[in-house]
Amino acid sequence: MTTDPSNLVEGAPTEVNPEKDVQLWIGPQHPGITGNMSMQIWVRGDEIRLGRTHIGYLHRGFEKLIERRKFIQAFPIVCRICVPEPDTNEYLLAASIEELAGLEVPEKGLWLRTLVMEMSRLAATIQALGGQAGSMGLGLVPNWTYTLRDYILDAFEELTGGRVYHMYTVFGGVRRDMPDGFKERLEETLKLIEKRLPAIDNVVFDNAVFQKRAVGIGVVKPEWVDEMGISGPTARGCGLPRDIRRDFPYLKYGEIDFDVTTHEGGDIFARSMVRRGDIVESIKIIRQILARFPMQGRFCAKLPNMLHWEVPKGQTFVRAEASRGEMSYYAATDGSDKARRVHVRGPSYVHAMSLLERMLPGTIYSDMTPMMVSMQTCPPEIER
Amino acid sequence: MTMKAFVEELSARFEVLWTHAQRDDLFQFGVPAVQAVPLLSYLKAHTPFIQLTHYTVVDWIEDGEFQMTYLLTDPVGRRALMICARIDRETAEADSLYKLWPQAVTYEHEMNEMFGIHFPGSPRMGLDFCLEKWTNTPPMRRDFDTVAFVKEMIPERPGREFITTRDYIGQKVGEKRLLHDD
Repeated sequence: MTTDPSNLVEGAPTEVNPEKDVQLWIGPQHPGITGNMSMQIWVRGDEIRLGRTHIGYLHRGFEKLIERRKFIQAFPIVCRICVPEPDTNEYLLAASIEELAGLEVPEKGLWLRTLVMEMSRLAATIQALGGQAGSMGLGLVPNWTYTLRDYILDAFEELTGGRVYHMYTVFGGVRRDMPDGFKERLEETLKLIEKRLPAIDNVVFDNAVFQKRAVGIGVVKPEWVDEMGISGPTARGCGLPRDIRRDFPYLKYGEIDFDVTTHEGGDIFARSMVRRGDIVESIKIIRQILARFPMQGRFCAKLPNMLHWEVPKGQTFVRAEASRGEMSYYAATDGSDKARRVHVRGPSYVHAMSLLERMLPGTIYSDMTPMMVSMQTCPPEIER
Repeated sequence: MTMKAFVEELSARFEVLWTHAQRDDLFQFGVPAVQAVPLLSYLKAHTPFIQLTHYTVVDWIEDGEFQMTYLLTDPVGRRALMICARIDRETAEADSLYKLWPQAVTYEHEMNEMFGIHFPGSPRMGLDFCLEKWTNTPPMRRDFDTVAFVKEMIPERPGREFITTRDYIGQKVGEKRLLHDD
């Protein structure tokens, strides 16, 4: 008999019986696992009795590496914390150190940062919606959504020079200006995405298979949101309008008009509907940025020599809304040319660990993958 | 109520060692380690700062101390408090927040492995987080020597034969055509 006192599910079993329950290890090499992590579960028949998340398959020691390098050398490290959405990490590193150094970013640099942040949110949200459909056997939808994401990556390549990892944000602003004709080409991509959305509605949201496997499955209760620090579509799927872009405005989000998408139910269907709404809102935000973008002015502040740049002693905390939820950085400096500590906290730190373990007992085994995908659990941001 | 006034009110109940307004929506202050968890319990029960957003540690090795850093958010008032408490680096023991916020288990599990800090009562102390059967100095401590560890654990490979582009082309097409210096 195994008992785990950290299992906090009300009314759910906190113990497993080796004579009745079968222990299964799923992942890290398994198509149903979201990334390089594994799940240790105990099942009785099809029902999961207890589940544990195991990580450590992708630990690259990013936080330690940052402590041993100069500030500017940290950008190629932090972007690798999240493959689908690296720009959030680049922005948060820059924002935290700029705040401690008292470095101002020019207006144009702020608009360009807002643009790449929203483009990366859009690309990651589209990818996640396709992944959700794919996790339930609707293989056509990921083909569509990955194609659409690739069009956004084309735009990233034109703007930043990189498709997946951009390293576009630097201290004081961004690396490059917007190329001529970029606005028109990005608008074409946005129109392609909009054109595809009704078909996604037909195949996913109006589909009885999807509804059967998503409605009432993987329920997150609204009272867990503050208790556990849940954020992003997982919180908004409980009907709570939590969005860092609106609650703690950063970059140019305070000047942009957009709605915070919510949906009732707290289940996989609700989280998918929130993502569907997020795609529409992201397109709306990108169009406003393109319309208001200042063509004149500097895109990066004048910087000191980055190889000898010392930042005064201090500590701060910054946050941003990634497609999966709240991403935040704690940074402490000691007056030297390297950070004393940079701590990264991604949404999966809660969603894939304590929340998933809380949701698993009582769930049917085949629902575990759609549940994990619905929270976009991402191991690299857990084990940095 | 401003954040400064709020913290001044708190100082009637708890010993506040220092305060600093980092931003309009972020206020920092320090408390003695023994008062950290009672303060956090009070904040959760009686104030809008109910969400544990960040929970980490900084190694101030030159002071012989770890700084426990707790960040609480008021999701309605849209502001945050950063609470800092220093503990002795040798004993490296801090009170657990697991009973207040269940997700603290993950943070404490990680700090236990990466910094060697013990949280009495926290359920996953001593279990592997992301390292496997680690017996060396906890790797996120400042005195953990990464270069020495790599040299000890990973055998050095001879590597590839190094040849400069200039030499390579010189071999292929002849030194005379490459150099243009004759």
